[in-house]
Amino acid sequence: MPDPIYLDHSATTPVRSEVLEAMLPFFGPRFGNPSSTHRWGREARVALDEARERLARAIGATADEICFTSGGTESDNLAVIGAWRALRTTRPAVVTTPIEHKAVLEAVHEIEAEGGTARVVAVSPDGIVDRASYDAALGDDVALCSVMWVNNEIGTMQDIPALAAAARARGILFHTDGVQALGKVAIDTRTLPVDYLSVSGHKIGAPKGIGALFIRRGAPITPLLHGGTQDRGRRPGTENVAMSVGFARAVELAVAEREEECTRLERLRDALEAALMAKIPDAVIHGRGATRAPHVLNISVPGTDSESMLMALDLQGVACSAGSACQSGSIDPSHVLTACHVPHELAVSSVRFSLGSLNTDAHVARVAELFPALIAKARRLSGQMSY
Amino acid sequence: MTRVLVAMSGGVDSSVAAALLVEQGFDVVGATMKLTCHGDELPDRPCCSLDSVNDARRVCDQLGIPHYVLNLEKAFGRDVMDDFVHEYARGRTPIPCVRCNTFTKFRDLVSKADAIEASLVSTGHYARVIDGRLHRGLDPAKDQSYFLWGLRREVLSRLRLPVGGLTKTETRQRAAHLGLEIVANKAESQDICFVPDGDHVRVIAQRLGPDDPSLQQGPFVLTGGPVVGHHDGFARFTVGQRRGLPGGFAEPMFVVAIEPERRAVIIGPRQALLSRTVFATEINWLDTAAAPGDELQAQVRHRATATPATVTSVAGDRLELVFADPVSAIAPGQSLVLYRGSQVIGGGIIDRSPRALPVAAA
Repeated sequence: MPDPIYLDHSATTPVRSEVLEAMLPFFGPRFGNPSSTHRWGREARVALDEARERLARAIGATADEICFTSGGTESDNLAVIGAWRALRTTRPAVVTTPIEHKAVLEAVHEIEAEGGTARVVAVSPDGIVDRASYDAALGDDVALCSVMWVNNEIGTMQDIPALAAAARARGILFHTDGVQALGKVAIDTRTLPVDYLSVSGHKIGAPKGIGALFIRRGAPITPLLHGGTQDRGRRPGTENVAMSVGFARAVELAVAEREEECTRLERLRDALEAALMAKIPDAVIHGRGATRAPHVLNISVPGTDSESMLMALDLQGVACSAGSACQSGSIDPSHVLTACHVPHELAVSSVRFSLGSLNTDAHVARVAELFPALIAKARRLSGQMSY
Repeated sequence: MTRVLVAMSGGVDSSVAAALLVEQGFDVVGATMKLTCHGDELPDRPCCSLDSVNDARRVCDQLGIPHYVLNLEKAFGRDVMDDFVHEYARGRTPIPCVRCNTFTKFRDLVSKADAIEASLVSTGHYARVIDGRLHRGLDPAKDQSYFLWGLRREVLSRLRLPVGGLTKTETRQRAAHLGLEIVANKAESQDICFVPDGDHVRVIAQRLGPDDPSLQQGPFVLTGGPVVGHHDGFARFTVGQRRGLPGGFAEPMFVVAIEPERRAVIIGPRQALLSRTVFATEINWLDTAAAPGDELQAQVRHRATATPATVTSVAGDRLELVFADPVSAIAPGQSLVLYRGSQVIGGGIIDRSPRALPVAAA
């Protein structure tokens, strides 16, 4: 079998060598606790502060606006629940969309369980927030709006500057899950009117287990964890110095390389999309009518099923995904496609290719041959079910 | 290299099955079927839990083969769990494993095998396939051929059952020998996978509602007529059951029949359980169909011996036969499995028949 092809960069990415190198000293001699007063502690504290500053600078923020977390899920939870809890007595409602990551949707469920109200706005079949529905939801009782910037399943991009501005005009806080946007969209919090922005390390070449939440100066936040005074009390617990350093390095690289890498990925993605559409004319590309991030291609072919396609692709060495994998590793129908009113037959056949640093033209060429061949076979089988 | 897709529950039997196939030089792919939701699972149940999926994945990793999780929750809920509660609501005693094997597990296994160009499929069942024919497992204590009569013959021709020729002890020894410590000493799965605590009444109440007629009060009726007490739901009873019946009789009493039309549980002495004939529907043949007059052996429960019997009528997917000696506690909903020696000829679902009257009451 030829070398395997990794087309699942939206799930996770390999740690970059520059990032690993930046982290290594902190797994070795520079092991100190940033809260300690001695030299080991000071050394660690300086490294942590520097990492915070570098990450902040990369997105136009100031160091005190960066709160390191364990990743995207914690950042989303801290923003959504933390902002709502701070304002709940006067503003008990939150506004979100049905195509958010589960880290936001489940945080909103928790808010409902604690007595808050949730307003879920409508989205178009391409996964774009319906502006009229959104505006109608922005009442005086709303504490926070949370809208994902780049959708992790279909890659569609919301007009976050406009949505955030609309919320701000009504005195409503705004959070965006920017986990898939980081490195794909220009992010400058000086001009972007959001109050909270979630980012994650392992989607851009840092390790799993590190993320950050941008909290605009003055934006309220009630901590989720209780303990020490680390990170101004917003996120108690001894800081993950090594990974914070690695994450800062990864963000700097991703921001510096963004334009060139996006151009490259878009070219690869469009080539793959064109080849697949030419060979499978009735395939459906989700989010095709909307602005999409350059690295995601989510395709459904009637008469096939995701589960079989992923197995067949994996056995041929091609790694991709469908929907979001659940705890057991089984595939559940995607809540994103369901919310976009994608017909059941298409929702259960979706396959997501997400491109990234590991991919080349040769990969696209091979998948452009392999995928249609597997589709043709799957359709022959479904036409002559032996059982 | 021939590819084989193995259904792996995370237990010792299917793990050893996969390992043996690897040893035999097959291109083995493992798959765990997720049949029920893991959200509300009870701890410590030996199969179908999240831990079991993880165990299967680890075994595959150890064997150096790929592993996938197949989501069959919807089909399982519809074809197996719904059928299970509806059968109880009709006063019958279903075997969900038979339904699962017939409609869910093997159907999906074969379709996924086709999708990945696997010409063979395999499970950890204790039964044997010899020349495309289904036989009992060699270990009489573990034989599971009773649950497999519903398979299609096309499936049988592609099926490998590597542990069917082993005893359970041998299987555990093989697991230990192969270094599969994760599963070698795992507890046996005894209960129905979605009724881990054995409380099937709770499942019925959950799916049909606590007001379902099968869970409402009804009479205990003595064979021959008189009402001798009341029960709180005929779904709590099965033919042959002793527990929960009114006392005060000279001899032990058993459930002889359930009549859902009047919510009645009919009870009688041991000899009232005996029957010389049995009637079954949904007959599936795994070999040439039997004809009236054919002599074979018939088994009416998993833990029962096959009894010599003569087929009296076959019409479409319905069959009736007469036993050489009366058989006890034939329960509608259970399977009637037909054997010729060790070979499974076919099977069906036992049903009430106007002609299948208890001998003692006749």
